[in-house]
Amino acid sequence: MIQLFSYRELIKNLVLKDLKLKYRDSTLGFFWSLANPLLLIAVYSFVFTRMLRVDTPDFPYFLLVGLLPWNFFAQSLMMSTGSVIDNGNLIRKVRLPIEVFPIATVLFNLAQFLLALIVLLPATMLLFPTRVSWTFLAFIPILALHVLFTVGLCFIFSTATVFFRDVRHFTEIFLMLLFWLTPIVYDVRALAESLRAVVFMNPVAFFITSYQDIFYRQSLPSPAHFTGLCVISVLSLACGYSVFRAFRLRFAEEV
Amino acid sequence: MSPLLEIQNVSKAFTIRHNRSQSLKTNFIGLFHKRFRETKEVLWALKDISLTVHQGETLGLIGRNGSGKSTLLRIIAGIYPPTSGEVRWLKKANIGTMIELGVGFHPELTGRENIFLGASIHGLTRKQAEGIYAAVVEFSELDGFMDVPIKNYSTGMQARLGFGLAVNLDPDVLLVDEIFAVGDEAFQKKCTERMSRLRTEGKTIIFVSHDPVKIKTFCDRVCLLDHGTLRFSGDPVQGLGEYHRLLVAVAQGT
Repeated sequence: MIQLFSYRELIKNLVLKDLKLKYRDSTLGFFWSLANPLLLIAVYSFVFTRMLRVDTPDFPYFLLVGLLPWNFFAQSLMMSTGSVIDNGNLIRKVRLPIEVFPIATVLFNLAQFLLALIVLLPATMLLFPTRVSWTFLAFIPILALHVLFTVGLCFIFSTATVFFRDVRHFTEIFLMLLFWLTPIVYDVRALAESLRAVVFMNPVAFFITSYQDIFYRQSLPSPAHFTGLCVISVLSLACGYSVFRAFRLRFAEEV
Repeated sequence: MSPLLEIQNVSKAFTIRHNRSQSLKTNFIGLFHKRFRETKEVLWALKDISLTVHQGETLGLIGRNGSGKSTLLRIIAGIYPPTSGEVRWLKKANIGTMIELGVGFHPELTGRENIFLGASIHGLTRKQAEGIYAAVVEFSELDGFMDVPIKNYSTGMQARLGFGLAVNLDPDVLLVDEIFAVGDEAFQKKCTERMSRLRTEGKTIIFVSHDPVKIKTFCDRVCLLDHGTLRFSGDPVQGLGEYHRLLVAVAQGT
């Protein structure tokens, strides 16, 4: 961990490299990162409010506050499957703490998440009768826990891909299913009690509903809920990092 | 010279997997079809190597292809863990690996961006990277090309940038794996001079080479590896003689 701290410059450079490569030479640049969630929100809003007659008020705003953090989580996980194997050449030729790669992946997606949120949240709020609330401040601890949780899982997925390349395909399908099991397009409060219990077996649901609480319902997550977030995050990071450490020495030979 | 590094009875086994399956599908098929089943073979790349490296020494590793030179270099660098035995550093030393030039460079990034990225890959802080930047540009003779993506560089230019960065990283111990054959004659001469300078500055250098001239001019000592065992360790001229005899013996099939 101490060694990792001295490699923070590398983590920073890896994140900047990915951001530069993504937006350099594209005329519309950052706009493309916004276009994807915007289009999805437009289509889902139309389908759910006009065709399926879902009565969640301010549906597009509701969708936005759940979708952006989901995208951060899902894209981090998807990218993390390649974060060790795609850097195989580097790992075989230079000694460095390999942890920097999954961490940089998460931070790269975090940067994109924050940029999208900064633009889209105020823009959407103007369109709907919502106002800024002091509950927004809880975004910082919730996000911090969400990042730890995501890093933990990314450690596991990046390790697993080294030994089984199929993990990439599996993750894709897994995330698609998980999307519908996570209360992003539907409000968990509208569900029957028994179904709600099922939804909360999914740890991601804890995070998404917390974002909805602070931004959409403008209330704080209950202390029990918040404790749940802490436990999930710490568990994920502890398990993820121990798995990564246990296999790390074999990476140079396997990638 | 005081000992810096002790390699004690180091062995390294690689598992060579024939029909290596990295997917669940082939694993599954393997249950039924022998042809798809994974078979493992253990290859001992290094067998019981013991060696002491002294501070400020230049040590050459020679041997045929596949004799274990690069594996030994990577075990010293800490990239591979030894299967048994131990690598013990007696003093704290800053290790620099020059196994491949320009490792981690990205073709779409400019020369300048690649220098900073490459420096951080080797563990330099921003400040340290800024400190060596001018020296890297000067050494690689690429002033004026720093804002150009390196995909537009010629192969020689890319190699020069890589070498320029590598020699300016300033570690205490350099692990070098045959990276000299870059650039034109003038640049090669410059590289050789630079390596000599690093030697006189008291750096410890361990390098793999097939070039007898470089071994003779640079090395204080050579180690000859053959099939993963240490055949000879000592005077470079004598070591090269041993190596030559080995090659002749192999050629004659004895």
